[in-house]
Amino acid sequence: MKTRFSFGAAASALVVALLAFGAQLGLRHFVGEKTLLSPDAVLAISFGVEALGLLAAGFVASFFGGLRSREQFVSALLLVPIAFGILFLVKPPSFSYDRFYADKPEMLVWALFVGASAFLLGLWGASAGLLIGAGKKPDLAFAYEIGIARTHLRLTRQTALMLLWIGLSVPGALFGAGILTDWHAGARDLTLWHKVGACAGLGSLALLIGYWIRTRVLNARLLPGQAKRRPATLVMTFISIAGVAVGVWALTVVLSVMSGFEADLKQKIIGTNAHAMLLKFTDDFSDWKTVIPTVRAVPDVVGATPFILNEVIIANNKGSPSGAELKGIDVASVGTVSELPKQVIAGDLAWVETPQNIPMTAVAPHAGVSDQLSGDDYQEYLDSTFGRRRDHPEEGSASKIDPSALTKMPGICVGKEMSHSLRIWVGDVISVITPLGEMGPTGPIPRQKAFRVACILYSGMYEYDSKFAYIALTEAQSFFRMKDNIVGLEMKFRDVDQARGVGRKVVAALKGFPFRSKDWADLNRNLFSALKLEKLAMAIILTFIVLVACFNILSTLIMLVLEKTKEISILKAMGARDASVMKIFVIEGVTIGSIGTAIGLMMGLASCSFVQRFGLRLDSDVYYISYLPVLVDAGQFALVACVSVCLTYLATLYPAIKASRLSPVDGLRED
Amino acid sequence: MGEPIIGTQSISSAPALALLEARAVHKSYWLGQKEIHVLRGASFSLHAGEMASLVGPSGVGKSTFLHVIGTLDPATQGAVLFEGRDATAFSEEELARFRNETIGFVFQSHYLLPEFTALENAAMPALILRKPREEALAAAREVLQLVGLGHRIEHKPGELSGGEQQRVALARALVLRPRLLLADEPTGNLDEATGEGIHQLLTELNQKLGIAAIVVTHNQRLAERMPRRLRLHEGLVIDAA
Ligand SMILES: Nc1ncnc2c1ncn2[C@@H]1O[C@H](COP(=O)(O)OP(=O)(O)OP(=O)(O)O)[C@@H](O)[C@H]1O
Ligand SMILES: [Mg+2]
Repeated sequence: MKTRFSFGAAASALVVALLAFGAQLGLRHFVGEKTLLSPDAVLAISFGVEALGLLAAGFVASFFGGLRSREQFVSALLLVPIAFGILFLVKPPSFSYDRFYADKPEMLVWALFVGASAFLLGLWGASAGLLIGAGKKPDLAFAYEIGIARTHLRLTRQTALMLLWIGLSVPGALFGAGILTDWHAGARDLTLWHKVGACAGLGSLALLIGYWIRTRVLNARLLPGQAKRRPATLVMTFISIAGVAVGVWALTVVLSVMSGFEADLKQKIIGTNAHAMLLKFTDDFSDWKTVIPTVRAVPDVVGATPFILNEVIIANNKGSPSGAELKGIDVASVGTVSELPKQVIAGDLAWVETPQNIPMTAVAPHAGVSDQLSGDDYQEYLDSTFGRRRDHPEEGSASKIDPSALTKMPGICVGKEMSHSLRIWVGDVISVITPLGEMGPTGPIPRQKAFRVACILYSGMYEYDSKFAYIALTEAQSFFRMKDNIVGLEMKFRDVDQARGVGRKVVAALKGFPFRSKDWADLNRNLFSALKLEKLAMAIILTFIVLVACFNILSTLIMLVLEKTKEISILKAMGARDASVMKIFVIEGVTIGSIGTAIGLMMGLASCSFVQRFGLRLDSDVYYISYLPVLVDAGQFALVACVSVCLTYLATLYPAIKASRLSPVDGLRED
Repeated sequence: MGEPIIGTQSISSAPALALLEARAVHKSYWLGQKEIHVLRGASFSLHAGEMASLVGPSGVGKSTFLHVIGTLDPATQGAVLFEGRDATAFSEEELARFRNETIGFVFQSHYLLPEFTALENAAMPALILRKPREEALAAAREVLQLVGLGHRIEHKPGELSGGEQQRVALARALVLRPRLLLADEPTGNLDEATGEGIHQLLTELNQKLGIAAIVVTHNQRLAERMPRRLRLHEGLVIDAA
């Protein structure tokens, strides 16, 4: 059947697509300007709305009958120059970091991209129209189609229960194994339910294997020809379900591990660095004592503390110098913004302000600061620092200095890696050199000062533990000749994820300029955008597994359509509409996809729980983290499920449309 | 369009419009370049409630003719009118509705859906019409009683005899009380006595329900008994009355 070109379909598709494109530009502008959402969220919202709009454009076109691919192609083709023109007029911000506004080649690529997605998403949207018989009278019911789809998939109550059993026992056993290892290790957070669940999961898998062996044995005893034969399509259905499940499983586990790394990193960064910084565009922040109460009074701010930060060189008595970030802190309030006081593994943070309290003998390390501080590596570290100071105090830098001078020396806290590389322990003396000395005839003359180690810190971030050193704020002011000035305030908020918004509120409470705030995401933008990019790349690669599984579904459905040609013909002879036949096969494909996705999600969840409880060891020299971190994010799981079901829906379209176009006599002629 | 209509029984007494009218229907199949011209301008008309047999040698095009007038297969040329409305101009949706509500088909082999019970099979057209399940099953139960299968409704086709299967197919064709029943050798695979029974049933139903019917058969004796007898010969329908 040839259908005529419908100008109505092309025109309405074009209008809706243009609206979608306009909505994207408008939303990107207004949501970006008027709200405090992150740039990523703004992009996601505006392009999400555009994608929905383009789907709608195809859907509308389908009301003119059929997929209307020709009309949609023409409308997409027209959309390209129009979109280019609009972009040219509005001068949108560029996606590239190099320039602020998009240039012509970028706009051209953008317009072509809009055209291509308008065509593809349009066809997708039109398939939904086709599915409800949008051409004439839309028909949303699908009762008997489900019944027929069920017979094709052999989904009786018995097979459904069997599937449920398999789908629950494999992840259940994994889950149970995780709990058992925990139980074995003497974990205390296990309730009776945990234990019962673990046994049930493992028992269920054992029963399943037993059942399988039993049926094998029974089948082996059958006479030839007595065994039930399964149709090839049924086997293929199982393979398709397994394929989707494996893809979803891989996707959820890998993404959860990557989220775990990200969360771990974020926690360490925030633990050391507070949620945001309040800075000034000018150098003069000497009014900080009056600013702090205002900052603390802003709702959602839970703490604020002054700081000074400068680059210095630190050297031990053997003279091996290394670069460091020297931070002046206010010991009394630093605990309200960061985890610094909790990171002390030896000594006391307060001793930076009261260095006379630093003992002359070696202090023992605190136990139980972090469970990552254990094993041979840590013992080797203690031997070379604590052990050396305890057993050979005469080698230390402090031994050559008069004890009365020692007690007057200011205190300094260093990270664990720095203490390791400089081989220093609490009580040792190091010298700090700043290049910002007085001007001499040949430029600034570096200034040097001796400090006594007051404490050793462990944050879990190699970069922080090897580069940061802390001294008292007043000491830093005098060392850097800053009088009562500071660099800025560190702030902690009630919710880290609201850091950007609360930061702006703080600046507003201080009447804006010259104040400005930088949140942790701004401060670590490169790191987190690299992580995000890596995660995206990983997600795309792993989605290919799901995509391959979708090709399984595609071929299974094509086989089914061929197998059921006669049945389709009979249904059509009885008056089934094209849309109904299409529904049957879409339901089948989406059912296969959904079952596979559900099993995959449960496997993913169980694997994450197993990894969490079992604790996969990592080489902590390489990763600076001793156990594989996992973070189960419900939103991420939902997104994976959504992508997987959408892909399986796409895979059903070709066979379903082919089946719906069969004529009633095609199958009746067969035998 | 003013071609002579062959075999209309009584033009004078006919109501304004025939139930079904085929006007110079041509149907060709192509095997590569080779044309098989099966129907060559077949014309005929049938009135509401009328019952006719259609005979002809194997391969002459009886099934083809039935499919074309039942709108399962489009004609290459010519028109099929149902109460004056041209079925070739129907949209996909109208066509589906027409096949669903107005026509009942019975094929040579029963073509029941093997996974469903007799009851569900008979109810299928009503389900396709989106009748509520209970209502559809009630209608199916009633029509299965009518064909004498009230006691075997929960059996699947594989558990029924050939004659019973054909009765279920008949029940399925009749469940929505169509205006026209098209039966393509409904007794072709059955023994003499069972075939006799099915024909008896068809005649009864025609009289009881007033459903017009065209029954293709190879059984000369059964064909003779029909009120009206049609023969397909060289692509034309000839009234053998
Ligand atoms: N799809 C097709 N493609 C090609 N030729 C076909 C097709 N369908 C039918 N024919 C040819 O059309 C002719 C008529 O076929 P049809 O099935 O209508 O015959 P029939 O009268 O019903 O025969 P029978 O009594 O054996 O059922 C035959 O020669 C057949 O080969
Ligand atoms: Mg035939």
